[in-house]
Amino acid sequence: MAGSIDFEWRRVPFEDGDTVASAVHRTGVRTWNRSLKYHRRRGLYCLTGDCSNCLVNVDGEPGRRACVTEAIEGARVRRETGSPGPEWDVLAITDRMHWLMPVGFYYKAFIRPRWAWEFAERMIRRATGVGRLPTDGRFEPKRARTTHCDVLVVGGGVAGLAAAIAAAQVGERTLLADEGALGWSLSAPALQARIEELSAEARAQPNVEILQGHSCIGLYEGPSAALVGPHGLVEVEAGRVIVATGAVEAHGVFPGNDLPGVWLGRGAARMAVRHGVAPGNRAVIVGEGPEVQDHADALRDAGAEVSLVAGRVVSANGRRRVTGVTVETADGRRSFACDALVLALGHSPRDALLRMASGLPVGGAGDVVLPGCTPEEAEASGRRAGAGEPDAPSYPVSWPAMEPDGYVCICEDVGVHELEVSWDEGWTSSEILKRYTTATMGPCQGALCGRHLAFFAESKGAPPAATGLTTARPPVRAPKLEDLVGGVHEVIHKRTALHERHVSAGARMDRSGAWQRPGTYGDRREGYLAVRERVSLMDVSTLAKFLVAGRDAAALIDRVFPTRVRDLAPGRARYLLALDEAGYVMDDGLLSALPDGRYYLTSTSGGADRMEAWLRNWSDRLDLSVHVVNQTAQLGAINVAGPHARDLLVSLSGDDLSREAIGHPGHADVTVAGVACRAIAVGFVGETSFELHHPRSRSVELWDALLEAGHAWDIRPHGLDALDLLRLEKGHIYLAQDTMPDDHPGKLGLSWAVEASKPWFVGKASLERMAALPLQRRLLGLEFDRAPQRGAPLSVDGRIVGRVTSCGTSEVLGRHIGLGWVRCVDGVFPETLNAGALTARVAPTPFYDPEGVRLRA
Amino acid sequence: MPEIRSAPLAVICAQAAPGALDRLIAPGYDAVVCRTAPDEILVFCPPEVAEDVLREVTNRLPALDEHGLVLDLTDGWHAWTLVGPDAREGFSAVSALALPGGDGFTQGHVAQVSAKILTAADDVTIIVPAYWSQHLRERLVADAAGAGS
Amino acid sequence: MSLLVPCPHCGERPYTEFTFGGELRPIEADGPEADFAQVYLRENAAGPQAERWYHEAGCKRWLTLTRDTVTNTIER
Repeated sequence: MAGSIDFEWRRVPFEDGDTVASAVHRTGVRTWNRSLKYHRRRGLYCLTGDCSNCLVNVDGEPGRRACVTEAIEGARVRRETGSPGPEWDVLAITDRMHWLMPVGFYYKAFIRPRWAWEFAERMIRRATGVGRLPTDGRFEPKRARTTHCDVLVVGGGVAGLAAAIAAAQVGERTLLADEGALGWSLSAPALQARIEELSAEARAQPNVEILQGHSCIGLYEGPSAALVGPHGLVEVEAGRVIVATGAVEAHGVFPGNDLPGVWLGRGAARMAVRHGVAPGNRAVIVGEGPEVQDHADALRDAGAEVSLVAGRVVSANGRRRVTGVTVETADGRRSFACDALVLALGHSPRDALLRMASGLPVGGAGDVVLPGCTPEEAEASGRRAGAGEPDAPSYPVSWPAMEPDGYVCICEDVGVHELEVSWDEGWTSSEILKRYTTATMGPCQGALCGRHLAFFAESKGAPPAATGLTTARPPVRAPKLEDLVGGVHEVIHKRTALHERHVSAGARMDRSGAWQRPGTYGDRREGYLAVRERVSLMDVSTLAKFLVAGRDAAALIDRVFPTRVRDLAPGRARYLLALDEAGYVMDDGLLSALPDGRYYLTSTSGGADRMEAWLRNWSDRLDLSVHVVNQTAQLGAINVAGPHARDLLVSLSGDDLSREAIGHPGHADVTVAGVACRAIAVGFVGETSFELHHPRSRSVELWDALLEAGHAWDIRPHGLDALDLLRLEKGHIYLAQDTMPDDHPGKLGLSWAVEASKPWFVGKASLERMAALPLQRRLLGLEFDRAPQRGAPLSVDGRIVGRVTSCGTSEVLGRHIGLGWVRCVDGVFPETLNAGALTARVAPTPFYDPEGVRLRA
Repeated sequence: MPEIRSAPLAVICAQAAPGALDRLIAPGYDAVVCRTAPDEILVFCPPEVAEDVLREVTNRLPALDEHGLVLDLTDGWHAWTLVGPDAREGFSAVSALALPGGDGFTQGHVAQVSAKILTAADDVTIIVPAYWSQHLRERLVADAAGAGS
Repeated sequence: MSLLVPCPHCGERPYTEFTFGGELRPIEADGPEADFAQVYLRENAAGPQAERWYHEAGCKRWLTLTRDTVTNTIER
């Protein structure tokens, strides 16, 4: 379909099948860009999407390669380099100032004075770069999907198609992906006809899927591949991969090689055949071989006068574009006038995907492994690869040597001169040369210049290890960030069954590890005072909960935890510490003994997954027959806390809830508001509390009933904010806030929770060793003269000896309290410390109700 | 575009010695028995027959393993089903897992959380721990629902 | 896009489905010195290493395998 595009300030017509490049070239535009550093004119060169000369902005999106972008009606195309534009560029003057900006100059010049560097850097950045990112906040979320196949073929030319057909014929599920339409980069009419035949044959196979417009940007272990298509990312998990990405024509390095008007042969021929556009009126083709004749015929058919010259290009001449070329022929040095210089100097395999996949079941087919082969040879190579016998790569048959001058890396403006200077400075391997000069680090990622860099190092006599092609890594084509983030979501929250209730009660929901939990319902004082004075509820469904049963349940718990287990009778509960093999505290919780040798274990919300893995690991290592059931999701838990907690429950239950029935700590099965619960008497907040563990499906019902009945005592719910202060007043620790990864129980004042006389438990030997060492650091209770800040350093005589890990102002106590780390000074733990400008005094914990009278009420 | 439906499903868990589970006869009642681990099976069935299935498994297991454990874990899981001819394609947008053809079972990461998956001809049922129910639904709506369009 | 780990129950799975449990180490030590090495020091072998892996995304069971840390290949 013909039409027109908006190219800068004019409408440019296009014909059916035109690319942006061919349509605009017809209007006489020859300068497409100004180069990155030196603002040199650049024109169409490779025509296969490999180099970066034709990058334009299409419909607001920068970095689009005009040579492979289809012309679409109404597209808005702009060139993006040069001030004000590439035709007239104020900064072209930088090309005269190479001496001021040699390779690596940003490591040498403008560094001093140091204050000037920031200014200089900003100026330099603004003067370079190709394209501007859209700042209008547009972002089209892309999708990602995964697909599975036996064989993935990357590249839909003759070799790739032949490979896909061969693989499908032996029954393998085959996926063929090409970054464009099948065979899009091939131009000879005979080849195009063959592509049509092969495409039809491939489509006729029932187990071949063809994905056009999908660019393979990387190969990974699996093997798996990342394809970027128009709708987003497609991750392919394949049994094996065949890379048939072809070859790009060798980039010639000589003075003037980056002038507009220098073309790579296949690209020029393609433009002529597919779009009827000749690169110029008078073209000189330099090169040898049968392909060169095809190029000449194609250009002539498009209306150009063509001369074929065999020899070595000495220089391309001209200022703003090519006006002639000097060639060292068999008959000596000759110069030719021309407005297009077409190079057919050899072939460079596009083998980055192959090289990054060494060690994986990935092979090549076609001229990516046999550069310079004929189409028939490429097809045969494809058939062999499809059948499972891919050809090993061979080096390019011919390769143009570099002249003493010219641009090696045209993406990054690195010339031969720059390589020589860098080598002399001591950067003497291809890898380090790449990093110092940035050669091969541009949009082409070494497709054109990589081999030149390697041969340069070789020509300098460097040892083999320093002369290889630089490491190939994904991505080999530049994907957009929105393609890479498709399907990836950062936020994964666990929710309790009461989530909606909290939200409609106006709670501020916080991220607490992986959970969404209410921080506070309005003013946290209300919840806090309700707990201390009346009765309150908290949703503690997030707690890790485990049923441990089976023949060796007691043995597992006895050996994994330092807690005394054997004498824990059904109906009783005990504080549980979890230690790692080094004897350090990694979790804590409550162990309840159930009838029939079963146990119910609860532990911190954030540690559920780790605790499950821990229990399973030890039952495996100790070869115990145990059933571990993670009930964290299955059971909700509501903590009813406050002086009237028991009264509230009694009003909703006919069961015996007295102190005798439910010991402290202990548990009993009771029915509350018609919901069967395991009521566990706990003391984390320092008031009478019952954690009601119940089926998750009845959480809402239970919560509503408790709130309703609780009106009689002016009940309020409380959240994490209030909990923080409540537990602090009792001196109870928060793991990972008040503890460090290397805390054994002694440092935390929790030695009482360890049954040292047990013959063996995880971490016992380490604890014994550490018990013999003097304590250097302890977690202590603190009182401050003014409100402290969490994290404040604690010091004695100007020396830092600790840190405040938790703190708050206790309303009921009228004191500023906290917990913190304190090191001993000269073998003694200090009693008074400084916390910044405040004074802190070590105080015994619990701060509130130290005798535990309120818990026994 | 696949439809997303909340699928009421009961979950009965049996843990016992691998040999015992090998010999356990399926309880019938349209229940799908999945061997989630060598020593664990999860039986998925319609909620209406959960009691029957629980009873059947509880009756059959002790003879094979006296220390076996049978529990109703229904509350701990939530299931969402992708329905329609694009169901599998929709699934591929939230998981890299290869699905069994026809009726089958697999387990692994879906929408970045661990899940159990039941497949049938034209639908895929994804079962996650109940606290991830909302998360999974959001992901299915965001990523899977667009499949086939 | 990953190293494949052979779970005995679930088959070959990407390593992202697993939690890595470190080198396989003995449970009980011969004495305090051996215990110190066991707890604080790792072999950190450059070569084949016995390791513990936990299939968190699937069966939630542990397995032991040997992986060559230099080539990052798992013995099968």
